[in-house]
Amino acid sequence: MTGVFDPEELSRCISCGFCLPACPTYAATGDEASSPRGRINLMRALETGRLDADDPTLLEQSSACLGCRACEPVCPAGVPYGSLLEQWRDHQWRGRHRPPLARLLTIVASLPPVVRAMGWGRFVLPAGRGIDKATRPATPGTPKQPAQPTPPAGTGASLMLGCFERAMFPNVSRAARTLLPGLKVPDDQGCCGALHAHNGESTKGRALARRLGERLPGRIVTTSGGCAAHLADVIGRDRVAELSEVVDVSALPERRVAGRRVRVTLQDSCHLRNGLGVWREPREILSAVADFVETPGANECCGAAGTHSLLRPIESRRILDRKLDAIEAGGADVVVAVNPGCLRQLRTGLRRRKSRVRAVHLAEFLTKPDGGARTR
Amino acid sequence: MPLSTDLFDRLRAIVGAEHVRHTTGDLTPYARDATPLFDRLPDAVVFPADTAEVAAVLRLATEHRVPVVPRGAGSNLCAATVALNGGIVLVTTRMNRIREISPTELLAVVEPGVTTAALADAATAHGLLFPPDPGSRTVSTVGGNVATCAGGLRGLKYGVTRNYVLGLEAVLPTGEVIRTGGRLWKDVAGYDLTRLLTGSEGTLAVITEITMALLPAPADTGTGIAYFPDLAHAGRAVADILSAGIVPATLEFLDRSCVNAVEDFADLGLRRDAGALLLFGDDGTSDAVRRDLNRMAELCDAAGATEWTLAEDVAGAEALLTARRCSLPALSRLGSLTILEDATVPRPRIAEMVDRIDAIADRHTVTIATFGHAGDGNLHPTCVVADPNDTESIERAHAAFDDIFRTAIELGGTITGEHGVGAAKLPHLRAQLGDDQMQLLSRIKSAFDPARILNPGKLGS
Ligand SMILES: Cc1cc2nc3c(=O)[nH]c(=O)nc-3n(C[C@H](O)[C@H](O)[C@H](O)COP(=O)(O)OP(=O)(O)OC[C@H]3O[C@@H](n4cnc5c(N)ncnc54)[C@H](O)[C@@H]3O)c2cc1C
Ligand code: SF4
Ligand code: SF4
Repeated sequence: MTGVFDPEELSRCISCGFCLPACPTYAATGDEASSPRGRINLMRALETGRLDADDPTLLEQSSACLGCRACEPVCPAGVPYGSLLEQWRDHQWRGRHRPPLARLLTIVASLPPVVRAMGWGRFVLPAGRGIDKATRPATPGTPKQPAQPTPPAGTGASLMLGCFERAMFPNVSRAARTLLPGLKVPDDQGCCGALHAHNGESTKGRALARRLGERLPGRIVTTSGGCAAHLADVIGRDRVAELSEVVDVSALPERRVAGRRVRVTLQDSCHLRNGLGVWREPREILSAVADFVETPGANECCGAAGTHSLLRPIESRRILDRKLDAIEAGGADVVVAVNPGCLRQLRTGLRRRKSRVRAVHLAEFLTKPDGGARTR
Repeated sequence: MPLSTDLFDRLRAIVGAEHVRHTTGDLTPYARDATPLFDRLPDAVVFPADTAEVAAVLRLATEHRVPVVPRGAGSNLCAATVALNGGIVLVTTRMNRIREISPTELLAVVEPGVTTAALADAATAHGLLFPPDPGSRTVSTVGGNVATCAGGLRGLKYGVTRNYVLGLEAVLPTGEVIRTGGRLWKDVAGYDLTRLLTGSEGTLAVITEITMALLPAPADTGTGIAYFPDLAHAGRAVADILSAGIVPATLEFLDRSCVNAVEDFADLGLRRDAGALLLFGDDGTSDAVRRDLNRMAELCDAAGATEWTLAEDVAGAEALLTARRCSLPALSRLGSLTILEDATVPRPRIAEMVDRIDAIADRHTVTIATFGHAGDGNLHPTCVVADPNDTESIERAHAAFDDIFRTAIELGGTITGEHGVGAAKLPHLRAQLGDDQMQLLSRIKSAFDPARILNPGKLGS
């Protein structure tokens, strides 16, 4: 026994295979090794010493996993896969086994906000492909907390400005302030650590989350599903809310374009949906203010998957292309994202194919009269 | 026996280099299936694309006396896909096309790697029904279903997989491709090899195409639940329902531990304090469904149900069925090792069997939760062990199951109703079949597989 994993969490899987149909990487390969059950068996082999940490399959599968946690809500045994993945990467990606890009990204995320604001994020990352802070962490701990009804973000709540989001999508933060004017927005926020937790530095990731929890007063509202899930896991679900849980739509007018309601669809944030159980809320909001159409597979990962799109661009693009086909087939003007990582992924993909569909963050959608739709 | 480099080269030449696995890491996920306590690394995993590739792999394996273990989704519960003697695991997931759905002939032609749910959905899209409904339907493959003769939640009214297999294409271990049966319900030319291969657990041939009968989809379905003070009362209700001349599509029961485990996962608002839950459902014309559901509810009431409700809509019914399908994995919330069996007895003896299982659990001081397909007499007593490394508890669990198997046979039942024999129950098979039949199985095995390379250590071994 090497003590890499929490033994209780690792032993909870009974290999029933119910998670196989939910896993996008298994769907792509049909190979047990790239399924949640197969990965758990690999983790067990690492734990028992059957496999060494530098085994090529262990290295490959620890990075091929999207960390989307689609395997969690479908698991009747309640296996906390996200948590196991974090423990796995912590061990697996130590030292030289850490993908260099993953290391660079977490360093950037740890820089003081000022440096980041100077555009470091943009500089370090390939042009036009800045990574957004939140992306999707694999949060540890309890698998799925059902979304609790949230009191409106009134007095004492604060707005968290995702660190990469601030650098890459300043409009999102601005829109969120407009939507929730009552919130405090302290300046020196720092990073929530989701990116670290997801990339083999869970101790640091959790420490950063705790620090943020101390800095920001009251309930913390975020515009990023990935940050929300990670923060909730570390500082408690009751202290965290995602935008769609607190926005009051009754005050918002319809989004219109060319004399009709904007036709809109949603891309779920994996961690928001699978980690926090929040997916009805954004749909209810969009249905209230626009012509909402569900895209088949909206609950499946868009391939951004935190750093995945940067570490494994070919696979990521394959996943994305299938998704964009489905979005375009639905005839939407706008696809709304609730996580900056997804937003970047969708926007890059739609631009590449010169699509008429626009990718817009929920906050922007709710502040622009036309929801950010193409006007002609 | 490790395979030689030449043999690997020839495997690669057959299926393509990217479809052959050989490193310990790549093999690890194929060391086990859904059965606990069985774990053995194969020497190679291959993913053939079609019948010709399957045939070439088998010919090579027979030539070199290398064991081959066919594998679909690996969801079986009897260690049927564990490579006990090493060798090649042959995975069918690449052969996953639905070749044809024929509404006029009421049949489907599929490759073995198609999942049960994919076939059922395709049938539904054509207004048809694929009745076999194993709890693992979203995971399991049709090839695996045929090879295990899977049952499921609709067995009482609709039977099991064997009732729907019209024809098979299969590759013998020596490489010949045979076609059994065909597209006809009536076809008595030759021994019924279709039936023989159905339930053969990958020990006689590799199934490469299945012609499956379908039915017209029923107009309506309905589901209800009733709570009872204990399983014995629920068992009485089952007997009353069946003797009232109702043959419902679904009649499933769960004891209190199962209800609680399922509720923990699915959060449906089931009553946690009930001793047992009976899930009943039927399909057909709307009038008939309503009438039968109401009658079943009345009969439950008369048999001592403390409460009953009918699902409001299809979504509600589906949620109940989905929750029932999750019973086994949900039970693992009680302890991380769950050993499940599927002893089956004639319907009138269900209540007796339930009582005897309770007594056996007490005698061996083990925790046994029971759920199952009540209408078929098919019970799933599941032994939950808190610590997977506690060998003493595991031994007690095995001793309890020995008693359960013996009791099932004594009551005129079987050691396995639907999960199969595999490696897990092979030691118990002789007690049920006797020496003569065991020898016959072995001779049949040799006729198909003279080198005895196909799934050794299982049926026929
Ligand atoms: C939670 C859970 C619930 C379940 N519920 C039910 C249930 O209600 N009813 C039921 O009957 N079973 C049930 N099962 C057991 C299992 O799902 C079935 O036995 C299923 O038919 C196995 O299909 P598979 O594709 O996973 O086959 P595998 O497990 O891969 O293989 C099973 C057997 O079939 C052989 N095989 C597979 N493909 C082929 C092929 N193409 N040619 C020849 N042999 C082949 C294998 O060698 C092996 O012997 C359940 C399992 C789980 C984990
Ligand atoms: S993770 Fe859950 S669903 Fe997947 S095999 Fe393990 S117990 Fe089953
Ligand atoms: S996190 Fe996503 S990609 Fe990884 S095993 Fe789970 S479902 Fe598959």
